[in-house]
Amino acid sequence: MTNNGTNKENCKRKDALISYLWAGPSLILIALIVVFPILYTAYISFTNMNVYHWNNYEFVGLHNYVNALLVFDSGFLSALLMTIFWTLVNMVLQLVIAFVLASLLNIKKLRLRNVYKTLLIFPWAMPGYVSILLWKTGMFNSQFGLLNQFLAKLGKEPVRWLGTNTMAFISCTVVNLWLALPFMITIIDGALQSLDKSYYENALLEGATWTQRTRYITVPMIKPIIAPSVVITIFTTFKQFDVIYLLTQQVGSKTGSSLHTILTYAYENAFITNNYGYSSAVSIIIFALLILFTILGERGGKGEKA
Amino acid sequence: MKRKIAWLLATIMILSLSLCGCGNSAAPVSEEEASTITIWHDKEDAVIQVLQKHLEELCPDVTVVLEKKSNLTEALKMVGNNPTAAPDMYFFAHDKIGVYAEMDILQPITEIIPREELDPYMGNTLEAATYEGQIYQLPIYYETLLFLYNRRYMPDDAVPSTTEELYAYMEAKTNGGHYGFVEQHSTPYYAAGWINGFGGSILKEDGTPGLDDESTIAALEYHKKFASLMPGETEYATVNTLFNEGMAHSTIGGPWLIPTVRESGMDVGVAPMPVIDETQTPISPYMGVQGIQVLKLAAERKPQAVEQVLRACMDQQLEIDLALASGCAPAREDCYSEAAIAEDEVVMAMKETAEHAVPMPNRPEMDVMWTVTGNLLTDVNMSGKDVAESAAKAQEEALQLIEAMK
Repeated sequence: MTNNGTNKENCKRKDALISYLWAGPSLILIALIVVFPILYTAYISFTNMNVYHWNNYEFVGLHNYVNALLVFDSGFLSALLMTIFWTLVNMVLQLVIAFVLASLLNIKKLRLRNVYKTLLIFPWAMPGYVSILLWKTGMFNSQFGLLNQFLAKLGKEPVRWLGTNTMAFISCTVVNLWLALPFMITIIDGALQSLDKSYYENALLEGATWTQRTRYITVPMIKPIIAPSVVITIFTTFKQFDVIYLLTQQVGSKTGSSLHTILTYAYENAFITNNYGYSSAVSIIIFALLILFTILGERGGKGEKA
Repeated sequence: MKRKIAWLLATIMILSLSLCGCGNSAAPVSEEEASTITIWHDKEDAVIQVLQKHLEELCPDVTVVLEKKSNLTEALKMVGNNPTAAPDMYFFAHDKIGVYAEMDILQPITEIIPREELDPYMGNTLEAATYEGQIYQLPIYYETLLFLYNRRYMPDDAVPSTTEELYAYMEAKTNGGHYGFVEQHSTPYYAAGWINGFGGSILKEDGTPGLDDESTIAALEYHKKFASLMPGETEYATVNTLFNEGMAHSTIGGPWLIPTVRESGMDVGVAPMPVIDETQTPISPYMGVQGIQVLKLAAERKPQAVEQVLRACMDQQLEIDLALASGCAPAREDCYSEAAIAEDEVVMAMKETAEHAVPMPNRPEMDVMWTVTGNLLTDVNMSGKDVAESAAKAQEEALQLIEAMK
């Protein structure tokens, strides 16, 4: 009996070891691509590596972190609040619009369903950089943009769509939705298709309205399916840089808006200095902030489940 | 069998990954390597073809490889001191010299070519190539912004010679989607001409910002009224399209704009920069000098080939041919006595502008000044903020960022 138990344990250990061995190459790749850059950034953050000490950089302890705290001033705090607001607005809009569109795609007897799906997925197929600049020049440009061309036809004055913080926030949100909706629609569409139709048949027999069916069947059932994607999107939105930077802050084509998320703020106040030690310290602090938000988010999620 | 193949693949993968980055050791230079010079550049084909032809003729013993790099400045930072990955020279504007000199990857040119042999070069091109008293670039040609006008709307006799004449023209002609004059008013490279014309500066020679100097503030105040008669968005594409489509009668743009507008059928004129009434100095744009920089590693490992290539690049005929092929203004003063050059309207306009142009600062501090000055210009010209307050705030930010660089 004891021998049998030991043998089984040995077999289990051997299996576990073999599993790790097979996963080894992938783990090494992950270590090189994900873990190593983080560790290296952390290492650089404790040195004075910059253009003045490129080959002869030294360990400077927490010096960069002390300096980095200067970046986290009132400007950073307002950028942080703006980032949270930006994430909230974008996530609410994304979920609502994606849910509505995915529900429409799931209407029975809908004709040309695949055509609509292809059109809706199209923004995803284009590189984000190209899409953003196309929106900037093709839609928002005050001289040649489509929006002002429409206004001109209606006899209205041209509008500077990216000229003020409020207008820039709205315009950036529109572009971000254009870029992000295909992913969310695909996920919700998949979730909707996986639902058991018998629940709806029962609900219909009970006389449930569309709102009641959505509230008591659809939403609770798709929630666990789309949750991981929502979490991923929250973080993609939170650390958004391209949309805001390319639309409003690119050097040589600033628009007058001073809208900042934490990343664009850190870029303007740290990364342009070519001080790699200092910039790494700022990156590590932002990384720690993101980890903190993840933990808080997970705790919130668990609390809700309980 | 499958298991064996999988093991083999995994071993190869691990070995190849672990070998990554092991090629950093400085091996002795073979004869073939010593006679091969790699030059990174970011230039258009017309320029490179002329350079390649001249180098083949003048340095038959050296194999010169001209390699176009899209992100040259960042790539150099990464591999500048790696003998297996770094180029031997690079052909680029002078404004990054300070960064690379501080990184200790550049060799002063005068340690290869005696200083007196550089006497034929225009003084301001050598000034541009100098950082902390050392000349790090062999100038080949330079660029300045030019005052360009569309003869269809602005006849030669209506070209403003002063900034007040320009303002009067703008007031008279700016309406119904047409503009008398447009420029990238909130981009530091373009606004620098106005600031320099007032005696102000974005970055002083000693590396301190000059954004809240009285003369800089005066320039920003004066320039603001011109910006108010231009469209709100004035990035590169909008300004060039307005001029190209005939919706803007005149502009300040680079020589690179001329072939495009000529292709569109425009009769484009090039005039001297208007004189600023307040200071009696013309708008004085930045001057960018394009030339050859030598990496320290190459100077140590391939001294003979490096010297041969540099001497070939000093050839007067090379600069003349580049001017004829691509409108590049020669850095050598003696080229301008050649009839072919003296007859070239664009090259001679650049020469005239260069008399007042200011070499773009080549100090590392300039990297942060572009962003800070861009924000200041946007605050003043586009958000209507108070000039003095915005300048003081920008100066403080610039000082903080410069401190953070060190």
